[in-house]
Amino acid sequence: MEGIILALFFCLILALITKYLSVPAIPFYILAGVVLGNAGLGLVASDEISRFFSEMGLIFLLFFMGLGLKTEKLAANRSAVLTSGIIDLNINMVIGFIAAYLLGFSVTESLIVASAFYISSTAMALTSLIENRKLMLRESETVIWLMVFEDLILIIVLALLSAGNQNIAIFLVKILGVLAVLYALAHYGKEFLISILDRDDELPILFTFAAVLTTASVSMYLGIPETMMVIALGVAFATTDPDAFEQHARPFKDVFLVVFFVFFGVTIDFSGGINWYMITVICLLAIASKLISGVLTGLFIHGSALSGLEIWGNTIARGEFSIAIAVLYGSPLVGTTIAAMVIVTSIVGAFTAKYSTALRRGILSLGRKKSPPHRSHLGR
Amino acid sequence: MSAMSLRSLNLPGVGTKYEFETDKGDTVALFFTKTGTIQMYTLQKGCKTPSAAEMTPVEARRLGNILTGAIIEADQESVEIAFSALADLRVTIHSFLIPKSITGRTIEDLQIRAKTGATVIAVCRNDRNIVNPPPSFIFETGDAALVIGESDQIKMFEREIMVD
Repeated sequence: MEGIILALFFCLILALITKYLSVPAIPFYILAGVVLGNAGLGLVASDEISRFFSEMGLIFLLFFMGLGLKTEKLAANRSAVLTSGIIDLNINMVIGFIAAYLLGFSVTESLIVASAFYISSTAMALTSLIENRKLMLRESETVIWLMVFEDLILIIVLALLSAGNQNIAIFLVKILGVLAVLYALAHYGKEFLISILDRDDELPILFTFAAVLTTASVSMYLGIPETMMVIALGVAFATTDPDAFEQHARPFKDVFLVVFFVFFGVTIDFSGGINWYMITVICLLAIASKLISGVLTGLFIHGSALSGLEIWGNTIARGEFSIAIAVLYGSPLVGTTIAAMVIVTSIVGAFTAKYSTALRRGILSLGRKKSPPHRSHLGR
Repeated sequence: MSAMSLRSLNLPGVGTKYEFETDKGDTVALFFTKTGTIQMYTLQKGCKTPSAAEMTPVEARRLGNILTGAIIEADQESVEIAFSALADLRVTIHSFLIPKSITGRTIEDLQIRAKTGATVIAVCRNDRNIVNPPPSFIFETGDAALVIGESDQIKMFEREIMVD
């Protein structure tokens, strides 16, 4: 128990510093965990309580993600979302998978690394768009929808990786059964749900907490992925009053997620060996492959490679979802590799997101100097 | 004149966007973000990079007041309300910071109603509001008075009472 308090205290200080400097906090939470935990000073060890808290963090993160997924919204600009989403998925999954496989991971492990490699951090991307005042850029809308698309892919990845060697038919029937119950509750119980959310006593927050935990434990009992089911719960509840649910789930998410990040760092151990060559290759490729997918998306959607550079700058950072995949399915070596990738890409990503506009301007002015005939066009 | 078309869009995880193009081809975009702030972007016609300002909800409301033409001076606010059902009656409500010159004097003794026709309907003192102050009310330094009347009466108040 003292361990959690010590870790939380460190995170509080880190949160203050990172917010002041407006840099992402996630890599520093993980680093704090590494320093305090097994791989570092050994001051903090994971126990029953920390494992429970971490699990809550993951579950509330996914529930929150589900609340944000409103399927009817996708219909608006479907072709652009689909094009950019498919480019992003294919380029990064394929590069991630081949790299991991060539570095000696097994097929399953490579799939896990590739998924973590593919999925950018929604939290960091959206925060950077807001904080760097880029919302009006046309590329921002592409980035925002790309994050939604990645979230949808994550659900499929979670299902695939959790299915394991169960009987697929029974597995699917169980999932569909729970989904049907959730939607029936949200549909027929809508009035009731809204009446609960409207109260100003402890009921709304108690209900939110209980609903998420119940869904998770029933799923675990039935042997279906609780991660997928809490996302589904979020999507179902989003049809009632998503803002109210977000408001009530946020305190749980915010606190437990910090525990989740820091204890992910704590549990990292270098017993699987620390392969600097492997880590360097994965980190460099993680940055490079988003550049390729970004530039292609820029060309296809906006007809400009420079737009792609803007997309790249805001999607480099891997974060919460990559770690979720590592925690759920990764071996120690996979965990260490993904941790290193998240730390490096999120720090690099913070810089590229901040200076991408300057970078674009720099490249434009370079291009101008090289091609004097265009000068008359661009001048004035 | 072409009708201004206002686009509104829900951006998942970010908030709501409102955008419109002016007659002259400039673009204005507003984002109500989930973090509670409001970002305003303006993009001049022919330009590539917009400029942005981030505001708190209070600041945004203030900007709204300025844009609707209500504010006259930077630190003093004024709202004019027109009642079309009452023979187009126009009433102005104006806030004034009480100057040193009338500190310690009462509403009655300043003859505000007789001299200007305007009425002091509220005074804000140390973040507390005193609504409908009595004629015996004594002004103190730092008070902000809310005065109601027709716009001529408000001008008279400014000339006669504020520079005593």
